[in-house]
Amino acid sequence: MRALVLAAGRGTGLYPFTETRPKAMLPMAGEMLLDSALGKLRAAGVTDVVMVVGHCADKIIDHFSNGASHGITIQYVRQKDPSGIRDAVCRAREHFQPGEGFLLVYADVLTSGNIYRHVMQTFGSFNQPVAAICHTPQAQNFGTVYLDADMFINKLVEKPSHKEMGNYVLAGVFVMPYTLFDLLRKYEMDESFNEIIASTGMRSAIWEEPWLDAQRPWDLLHGNQMVMRTWDEARVSGAVQLRGAIQFRGPVRIESDVVIESGASIFGPCFIGKGTFIGNDVLIRSNTSVGAGCTIGFGVELKNCILLDNVRVGRLSYIGDSVVGENAYVGSGAVTVNHNLDRSNIRLAMKEGKVDSESNKLGSFIGDNAKVGASNTLAAGAVIAPGQIVPHHHTYPVEGD
Amino acid sequence: MCGIAGMVASSNVAQKLYRSIAALEYRGYDSCGMAVQENGHIDVRKNVGTVEKVNQGERLTDMKGLAGIAHTRWATHGGVTRENAHPHMDSQGRVAVVHNGIISNYHQLRERFQNAGVVFLSETDSEVIAHLLGECLDKYEDDMETAFVSALRELEGNFSLAVISTKASGQIYCAKRESPLIIGLGDDANYIGSDFNAFIEFTRQAIIMDDGEFAVVTHQGYVVKELLSRNVVNKEVTEIEWDMEMSRRGGYPHYMLKEIYDQPATILSTLSIPREKLAELARLIHESRQCFLGGVGTTYYIAAMGQYLFSQIAGCYLPAISTDEFPHLAQVGPEDALIAISQSGETYDTLTAVRFAKERGARTGAIVNVMGSSLVRTVDVPILQGSGPEICVISTKAAMSQATILLLTAVELGVMRGRFGEEEALGYRDEIGKLSDVLSEALNERAGFLHTAASRHQKMKNWLYLGRGIYYPAALENALKMKEVTYIHAEGMSAGFLKHGTISLIDENMYTIVLMPHPDEKELHALTRSSAEEVRARGGFVLGFRFEGDEDVEGLFSEEIVLPRVSPLLAPFLHLLAGQLLAYFLAVQLKRDVDRPRSLAKSVTVA
Repeated sequence: MRALVLAAGRGTGLYPFTETRPKAMLPMAGEMLLDSALGKLRAAGVTDVVMVVGHCADKIIDHFSNGASHGITIQYVRQKDPSGIRDAVCRAREHFQPGEGFLLVYADVLTSGNIYRHVMQTFGSFNQPVAAICHTPQAQNFGTVYLDADMFINKLVEKPSHKEMGNYVLAGVFVMPYTLFDLLRKYEMDESFNEIIASTGMRSAIWEEPWLDAQRPWDLLHGNQMVMRTWDEARVSGAVQLRGAIQFRGPVRIESDVVIESGASIFGPCFIGKGTFIGNDVLIRSNTSVGAGCTIGFGVELKNCILLDNVRVGRLSYIGDSVVGENAYVGSGAVTVNHNLDRSNIRLAMKEGKVDSESNKLGSFIGDNAKVGASNTLAAGAVIAPGQIVPHHHTYPVEGD
Repeated sequence: MCGIAGMVASSNVAQKLYRSIAALEYRGYDSCGMAVQENGHIDVRKNVGTVEKVNQGERLTDMKGLAGIAHTRWATHGGVTRENAHPHMDSQGRVAVVHNGIISNYHQLRERFQNAGVVFLSETDSEVIAHLLGECLDKYEDDMETAFVSALRELEGNFSLAVISTKASGQIYCAKRESPLIIGLGDDANYIGSDFNAFIEFTRQAIIMDDGEFAVVTHQGYVVKELLSRNVVNKEVTEIEWDMEMSRRGGYPHYMLKEIYDQPATILSTLSIPREKLAELARLIHESRQCFLGGVGTTYYIAAMGQYLFSQIAGCYLPAISTDEFPHLAQVGPEDALIAISQSGETYDTLTAVRFAKERGARTGAIVNVMGSSLVRTVDVPILQGSGPEICVISTKAAMSQATILLLTAVELGVMRGRFGEEEALGYRDEIGKLSDVLSEALNERAGFLHTAASRHQKMKNWLYLGRGIYYPAALENALKMKEVTYIHAEGMSAGFLKHGTISLIDENMYTIVLMPHPDEKELHALTRSSAEEVRARGGFVLGFRFEGDEDVEGLFSEEIVLPRVSPLLAPFLHLLAGQLLAYFLAVQLKRDVDRPRSLAKSVTVA
């Protein structure tokens, strides 16, 4: 079966990281969403993918090219303006043959097991359109469904009201008939699904393993943890240089050409990407994911955070409950504060205004290429734009911001 | 639901055919049988019981033949007897038939044959097919295909069926109308089945038959034709790529979830139990000096809920006794009665209690799911709950339906005892009639909240369920669900009892779930509320299960699950549902063997 992968989404809510990349290229647990999706598709037996790209399309095309590195063939379809899922699916029409059923995949969904295999097995068992469904506490962000006693979806509600907050939600993976393209000429996405429900019926494939569709920057930390929680063994590449006494504990995953200086303590689950340098006496605590080519200076403490590729962190800094963008620089002695003294919920200054994270423990979100000077104190929930420079000896944001 | 299997091969089919019906046993397991054809003779062996048990008695695997059909049954009409088990034959032993579904014009056909002097051996609608085929074979001079087609044209209803005949050696004739039927294509054998499970072990090449088609299958090939025109239909061969368990469960990840989702439908069939049957049970109670309710495990808690229902609605006290203790406790004599509740009807403790009561001259009744089970055969008044096969060891839909039957019986008893008139009884029944929809609404719209609660609190090792009034046995049942499937320590308790000792356990390692009564049950509500406050005052975490529109409890709980607004009569049923879902989601997160929890068996048939 061929797959139609939708990777054009902008992921505006994930500012500042989606300013400079498509949502599908956000990394969690050392792997980009799209890397993880394509790997799982391949494992489920899909070798032929049509991918709709839009926002920062070239980044995806440069990275994945024709798909050979993932053992699949990718054909790209460009969606110029961000004009929604319906338009994205319609654009792919000519790549499919009438009568051909296909796997429809929203690339921004992260799961710990192979959801594609599950959906295809359900299709194989019943030979009917299938939609994966799951439970999430954030039902308001997704289409919700009603089920009958035989597990058929008998109604789909695209924009759920207060009433449907406890329903199963669409998990972003479907097996659809070619007729979906015809329906979409006339109807919106949800109406088309309801048409299919009314005509051939739609099976649900209940997904009970962890699932996440990141909507906000802090969701990246949840996704990171979600995947790492399933790791049960350490994997350290043979081509890692360990220079002296280093303490490892738990499922640590360290890729090739990483250099770790003596005195470092590395506690899993955590991930350290290719070619990264870990200085003396660095403490890496659980749920930390460090990208490729990073430099972590002497005495730095990292905890529950994601560092994208080529991040530099100066000596004696602390980064916790935070995400740091590609090529960003964090000067020595910088601290990401991760709680308010009154234990109130942390609010982030997003483009659209302050957003409550509904969590009282959260650090900073630093965009790509940003520079944070030495001896900085970043307030809990600080958001730093891509390329922004925060001078040395600063408290960010300043009082009253 | 029943299961059909069939096989034609160049060598003996008995062993493989036996494995086929064993694989279909999830579709029903009250009786089964096989027919094989060899040298112009058809051998039929069948009996009551599980496939394995029937094989032990009837030696199905020793049968000999190159073509055979088999059936596993879940009775909906007609008792579970050897005669009613499939396959059925015509009077001359020329054809054997297995059938799944309903022949709606069977009464007319049966009458016609009886008038013609045909003796029926069973009470099933399926047997008429055999006689009809026999008649058609006579009419068309043993032309099997013409006989088969013309017989089918006379049958009304939704069904699938398969036939072997001495007049069509090495062939299976089968047909499909609404009920499923699939042909499997092997190397030197071909198969048929109600679903893939029948032959997935032998082949993955399948042909899915459509309504209004029939097929002739031999060991070398098959032909599918349209019933009306008898034109050959070209069918596509489907490669089955899937996991057997998934299809059996109807796609649900576990039987337990499937059975929880089955409940709105199950309750509908419970509600269609004829009133006379319920009245018969009510009369048993009414005419007794003392009537006991008996069950063990979940059914004991359902009986305990029944105590409250009979007390509140019918104004009489029926002590519920756990049947394992019944002989040590109950004083029963000829004027007394015992109503036993059991899904399987084979529960050792319950059967023992029933026999104990009978020996002392008491009358007995039962609420049972499995037709033809020992309990059904033992008691004076059996009520068949019609919940369909329950596969998961943990009882959900069967228990929900048992509680509903007790509720309906309490209404009958209320009328009988002159507590209220027919009009009020009608009001009750209308209210109970909403249960299916209410369960469906709660399942669809509230399950996610229980899922979230389960994810959030999966590390908690001790849970206390509190309730008052009928919510007390509901709390006991919910705690049992939690224990059984998650292996987490949970206790149910009457909320008033808490402060007489157990409250000393409240700390950060013990979470409490409070089953709030319906807000209209004012006194019960106020008392339960104060119990929740007692726990919170000691720093305990309280998860409240409460109803929509209950403003009184705002801020009372640490967290809450809001259930849809219903009448007080149905309120405890929603608590049962919430308890099932919470236990299920916790078990899944903790990676428990949900459908087969350690140390538990579906039917406990030992002391």
